[in-house]
Amino acid sequence: MTLQVFDLSAIRSGQAILHPTSLSIELGTRIGLVGSSGSGKSTLGHAIVDALRAQNKRVAHVPQSPDEALDPLRSFKFHWHEAERALDLAHDVSKQRTLFSALKIEDADLRKRPWSWSRGMQQRFVIAMALIGTPDLIVLDEPTSALDPIVAAKTMELLRDHLADKDVAMLLITHDLGLATQHVDRLIVLDKGKVVEDASTHGILVAPKSPAAKSLSTHRSWLSLPC
Amino acid sequence: MLKLENVSVKRGKSIALKDVSFKVDAGKTIAVVGESGAGKSTLIASILNLASLASGKISWNDKPVRKISPALVSQEPRAAFNPVMTLKQSVLEPIVGQKKTLLPDRLNRLCKGLELPIDLLDRKPSGVSIGQAQRVGIMRALITSSPLILFDEPLSALDAVTQKHTARLISDLQKEEGFAAIIVTHDLGYAAAFADDIIVLKTGCVEEYSSAEEFIQSPKTQYGQDLRNAAFALGALERAS
Amino acid sequence: MKIVIGLFLRASVVLTGIALATFALLWNAPGDPALAIALARYDAIVTPDLVNEIREQAGFNAGFWPAFQAWFGPILMGDFGNSSVNGRPVLPDLMSSVSYTFPLGIAALAIGMALSLPLAILSTKRPGGWLDRFAIAVASIGNAIPAYWLGLLLILLFAVQLAWLPAMGARTPSHAILPALTLGLGVAASLTRIIRSGILEARGQSFLPALSRRGVPQNSISKDHIALHAAIPVVTVFGLELAFLLEGLVMVEVIFARPGLGSFLVEAIGARDFPKVQAAVLLTALIFVVVNLLIDLFYKVLDPRIGDHDA
Repeated sequence: MTLQVFDLSAIRSGQAILHPTSLSIELGTRIGLVGSSGSGKSTLGHAIVDALRAQNKRVAHVPQSPDEALDPLRSFKFHWHEAERALDLAHDVSKQRTLFSALKIEDADLRKRPWSWSRGMQQRFVIAMALIGTPDLIVLDEPTSALDPIVAAKTMELLRDHLADKDVAMLLITHDLGLATQHVDRLIVLDKGKVVEDASTHGILVAPKSPAAKSLSTHRSWLSLPC
Repeated sequence: MLKLENVSVKRGKSIALKDVSFKVDAGKTIAVVGESGAGKSTLIASILNLASLASGKISWNDKPVRKISPALVSQEPRAAFNPVMTLKQSVLEPIVGQKKTLLPDRLNRLCKGLELPIDLLDRKPSGVSIGQAQRVGIMRALITSSPLILFDEPLSALDAVTQKHTARLISDLQKEEGFAAIIVTHDLGYAAAFADDIIVLKTGCVEEYSSAEEFIQSPKTQYGQDLRNAAFALGALERAS
Repeated sequence: MKIVIGLFLRASVVLTGIALATFALLWNAPGDPALAIALARYDAIVTPDLVNEIREQAGFNAGFWPAFQAWFGPILMGDFGNSSVNGRPVLPDLMSSVSYTFPLGIAALAIGMALSLPLAILSTKRPGGWLDRFAIAVASIGNAIPAYWLGLLLILLFAVQLAWLPAMGARTPSHAILPALTLGLGVAASLTRIIRSGILEARGQSFLPALSRRGVPQNSISKDHIALHAAIPVVTVFGLELAFLLEGLVMVEVIFARPGLGSFLVEAIGARDFPKVQAAVLLTALIFVVVNLLIDLFYKVLDPRIGDHDA
């Protein structure tokens, strides 16, 4: 199955921040949505989620920081049950256990409220919550930026392992081509609200065509900067 | 030369920094990496004389550090500015009373290097993006010509390309002016590319103290290796092919 | 547990301070309390000897600190002393007046909540819409009208013109309707604005868009998340609201000629009946402190981050 969205666009205070964009996403693929800040990446991510929800597709979104995903006054347990109810699922302890162990959420007291866990654990909880209904697509918006590097790397690795044998598509939104190349096979490059390039990761690394892709590609690593 | 000798800082009953010693020569850069809560910000505070030392000594050429008024790039880009002043007023505030003959040239150059339009400085902090505010914060520190500049997560709000341009500008100015720099970051790629030495902090202690090359080749400690491997996994560093 | 003890200690310090302050104020008030007592008791001609005798009996000659100790010591054991005018114990009178005031206060709060909550929710349906502006206008006018004026207007309309409700006294429950309405409208006016801004602020929370993207229905978001966040500022000002309510009660009880804590206090002040005044002030302070203590505890349940420096 292929997920498709057509003519997504967004206007903020009279300015087009996202020009009409259509995309198709094969189930089970890993795609990176890359671009500089202000290129419209997050906006496109939100638009894709909203459009697919309107098509009754199962789609989950993980915001940049757990602060944007969890109510500080509600317990983890409450969030979990709420997410299950939102998908019309009965409470499934074994599913929860599977996801928690896949994402290494261990010895967790679910009665606690978000801020009493570390941020890494919070972020993994949000990812686990996104996977409750086994979505067709999970959209991750800068999932590592709020985390320490070791925790961030571990989280991405756990997620990759969990998704390896599943028909879930992943859309990784990031400004960091270095991060994207580690996790995706296809790259969509966004510049000023337009998709300027859509190709395999390898293709863009070897022969970027648009100026935006060229710039991202030459600046992807700290140790090989152009002079 | 900045010198820390056996510096310890207590926070309440717990120890925030324990027995930290290192040196930074003029013109050199030291990067401080480690997870949140490892004591990175406490280290900055203690150098700025904002945290009282339980023991140890911090000095600049054997004099107290405050004599040279070190400059700070705060990790909270917007909160670091007075919200009712224009950015230009904030940027010029630390150099009130200094000779200003070269100032317009310098401002222009910094704006260009940091990719900020010069009229952006006439706005208030609330009128710019967080990434722009962060770069204006860097400008305010660089314009002071202080011999010691502390950068606390200076690139956290910038995208990958701007990060690299900004890091390059800081490094170029450092070569010309010879200030000593301390960079607190959790981006090991940045640390490896621009620092001479890397200090890894863990729960307030110096876990590892290596030159950048050493650290990238082979970290001495397990934790250092974990950090380096994480940087590879996140694409912040690329393995030599 | 540590928190509870801390709060309790703070409350005791506040109450002792208030006892000392009221005692000092009355002690230094102009006029001769002994003369006032003599006039109240014997009403006709009073001789200087009689006034002196009363002064001696009441302990006014002993000096400030002995007098304070003589009064405050027994209070710690629950003895509020006797009225200096009629010699009867203060406590039973005080309690009977509270038995009028307490239901009136609760009724006023209930009316306030019943009016302000729906009004605030309606007004936030479309912020800036005509309903919202209307609600703000009503609330601002309500805030500006003093209780004594509103009370008289209500009497004029419902008691004098329409003759639906009694105006004076407290014989039947229907006697409480007008005073409760007078107070309740004032409470509703200020609560409306607070609840409204609480809801609007809660709606700006950064985690809300994520909830709708997760598929949580809008009314669950309002009920389970926005209401909880909006409650925090409401609880905060509730303690202050109580102060206004107590102040309004004094006024309303006098206007409607109702027995109660307010009338008790006003009469006692008029008669310079020190033990009664002090007992009433202490009781009011106690209510205020206890409610604020409960609010502090409630906070810890609602949002344990508050007051927690490590969070």
